[in-house]
Amino acid sequence: MKAFNRRQFLRMAGLGMTALATQQLLAACGIKPTDSTGRDISQMKATQTPDLSTEPSTNEMEPTQSPTGEAPGLVVVHGTNPESMIRKGMQAIGGLERFVKSGANVIIKPNICAGYRTYKYAVTTDPWLVGALVKLCFEAGAGRVRVMDNPFGGTAQECYANSGIAEQVANAGGEMEVMQHLKFKDTSCPNGVAQSSFKLYEEFLTADTIINVPIAKDHSAATLTLGMKNLMGTVNGREQLHSSLHESIVDLATLVRPTVTVMDAIRILLANGPTGGSLDDVKETNTIAISPDIVTVDSWATSLFNMSPSDVGYVRKAIDRNLGVGDLSQVKLEEINADA
Amino acid sequence: MPMPDHNTPKAHKKGKRRRSTLVSARRWIQAFSLCAFMITLMATRLGGMASPANNLAVRISPFTMLTTMISSRTFLIGSSVALVLLASSFVAGRAWCGWLCPLGTILDIFPLARIRKKQAHISDRLRSAKYAILLTAILAAVFSNLTLLFLDPITITTRTLTVGLLPVLDKSIYQLELILVNVPPLADTVYKFDQWLRPAVFQSTPAIFLYPAIVLGFFALLIALNFLAERFWCRYLCPLGAVLGLGAKLSLFRRTVKNSCTSCGLCEATCPTGTIDRAHGFRSDPSECTLCFNCLGTCKNSEFAFRQAARPETGYEYDPGRRTFLESFGAFAVGAVIVNSNVLKLPDTRFALRPPGSTEVGLLSKCVRCGLCVKACPTQALQFDPENSSVVGFMTPVFVPRNGFCDYNCNACGQTCPVQAIPSLLLDEKHKVVIGKAVIDHDICLAWGHQTPCIVCEEMCPLDKKAINLETRTILDPQGQKIELQLPVVNSETCIGCGTCEFKCPVPGEAAIRVHTVETTL
Repeated sequence: MKAFNRRQFLRMAGLGMTALATQQLLAACGIKPTDSTGRDISQMKATQTPDLSTEPSTNEMEPTQSPTGEAPGLVVVHGTNPESMIRKGMQAIGGLERFVKSGANVIIKPNICAGYRTYKYAVTTDPWLVGALVKLCFEAGAGRVRVMDNPFGGTAQECYANSGIAEQVANAGGEMEVMQHLKFKDTSCPNGVAQSSFKLYEEFLTADTIINVPIAKDHSAATLTLGMKNLMGTVNGREQLHSSLHESIVDLATLVRPTVTVMDAIRILLANGPTGGSLDDVKETNTIAISPDIVTVDSWATSLFNMSPSDVGYVRKAIDRNLGVGDLSQVKLEEINADA
Repeated sequence: MPMPDHNTPKAHKKGKRRRSTLVSARRWIQAFSLCAFMITLMATRLGGMASPANNLAVRISPFTMLTTMISSRTFLIGSSVALVLLASSFVAGRAWCGWLCPLGTILDIFPLARIRKKQAHISDRLRSAKYAILLTAILAAVFSNLTLLFLDPITITTRTLTVGLLPVLDKSIYQLELILVNVPPLADTVYKFDQWLRPAVFQSTPAIFLYPAIVLGFFALLIALNFLAERFWCRYLCPLGAVLGLGAKLSLFRRTVKNSCTSCGLCEATCPTGTIDRAHGFRSDPSECTLCFNCLGTCKNSEFAFRQAARPETGYEYDPGRRTFLESFGAFAVGAVIVNSNVLKLPDTRFALRPPGSTEVGLLSKCVRCGLCVKACPTQALQFDPENSSVVGFMTPVFVPRNGFCDYNCNACGQTCPVQAIPSLLLDEKHKVVIGKAVIDHDICLAWGHQTPCIVCEEMCPLDKKAINLETRTILDPQGQKIELQLPVVNSETCIGCGTCEFKCPVPGEAAIRVHTVETTL
């Protein structure tokens, strides 16, 4: 081996230090380091946490709360073909281009909690709905579309495959990402009441667009699994949140802000959730609901189970904490039939 | 006195060339064999290489085949490949050891004895130890005990990799990645590397294996023994070498020394197993010779040839005989007393959970301690865990739910097991297999003991009809308000002991719900 003397070592060390220092220098001069999508990393964390104290608005993009506004605040679509349902629903809400900018880095977050039930059991999100969303994202000009969840019932690969979602996403040209342990970062939750921080998958803070695609189902601990509950799949160590589950779900919803939530109520699980196991508990409702306001869509979804928003702890708390609009009379609702 | 022919430059050169081709051929084959071995091992995982291919290396050992056949009283069709290796010993002796054995190759990489100035003197009599180990293992197998299978060279290598080296590598790489992601210019590359590494090579969750130091220490010892003599393990201890050595006594292809030997001693120095010995007139014992061909170029008066072998080659002081038998019987008796008198460890059967479908007795009479199931388990639930296994079950797999749950929709361990110690189950069958029964410790349970809402165990129970049910009670919270609290209750009838509840229980340390063996919950 070639000898490596002190002088050379010092020279190499000096070079390395200089390289590191240059990076800092560049940052100070305004040439900021960017991530793979070209976004400024240094600004991200600061802008991603919305200031909840000023406005009850949930989305910086659109003032959807006003019933007099142009775009409806909630679109409910009935039909039998998931692709035409989501296509017509998105058109009604103003087009997916509203949420997905050209070249955007999109994450779709379905519910893929377990790997031992097929979609028929209404435990995981409808695969064709997820596939159609991937397709629509690309049509809207998305640069990269990834689909991911952090399942508790089996390995991610197995859950992705058995839910049928992996196949539909692949057909549509999207990527299934197995969540990397490395990317779960302790993230402080400034608006948290029960939780001051989460071990959050960092991509959910850096993505341009997050499309939340929960399935509406019964849940033993949380009463119902809806849009906000579905965000539990973005953190690690979710079992630690159960002692103050409802408050923690709302805390998480203040941190992870889906651009749009698509409620999969094509088939819903009425009992024995979240993992089901009997087709007797499944009801085909052939409906989806779309809203940029996660509280609005969750409030609407309680009606599927003959409940009101106040019956579900986290929905009630989210309304109380002004996270979004829960009073559906204040929301411009558009109901369409995709089969018509 | 005429000059010995082999000392003329021309003959010497020719001999050298012959040697180098054969020796380099052997080295290439050794490297290839070791690589193939490693690749099949790495491919052993859920959704990886299918069973008959990935566990071939384990099934090929006649030592393993013989002992499991005796202890389980069944002949496994899959193990019949071992007959090929056994038959090869009647033709080419211990060529396996020199050309194919993964452990032998690794030991060849560390010829530590060569750095010694003075060679250690080890009595040739020690060579009989391997026969004694073999006989002891067979005697124990008659009593359905396979503890000594942890000495099979193939299982040593698989186990060292699956339970020792890979987890340590996994963990080290993960720690390194954790540091490197904080260096901004590297972060993207590290994430990309990790994304490739995790599903392809390691589990997505970094390794949490127990006790890798024990297997790694044992392996380090085998390498350290090389300091005393080259291939110390193969010469003196290897029970598979002993099986092949017995066949080699009759082997057809062997090295012979002509009468024209000049006793120059050149060959003696090149022999890695030290079987070429001045004391035996530079002959080599086919039971010790690994056909490495290192000696070939040194001399023209010895040759490797096919020779009719009607009578076994005997007459060595270390050949197995009555004395070896007595020693083995003694060792067996002492071992049996130590194990059965519990002087080493009291058996604690409460949490000695076995992989799905296997029973304690069935597993102990078949398990060859290869650790392939540990490698295949996607949740790292199967572990080599001396705390929860008996002394007899040393290095057998134990299911540790706190480490990982038994994935409801996975049967990888049974599919991978080379000897059906873990039955190969269809998923429908596996869904019904009872591993143990969950028991709630009401004192530390958040709901029962601390009146805190938490029903993680119920939520995550994977059964169609959950084995954890909820009981609702109205209690007073610390503020004196009436609240409804859901309390988990295990239905022991339907619980299959998959351990999802124990794994997910948020109580720190030991879980408030633990899977006990079925016998201890009755």
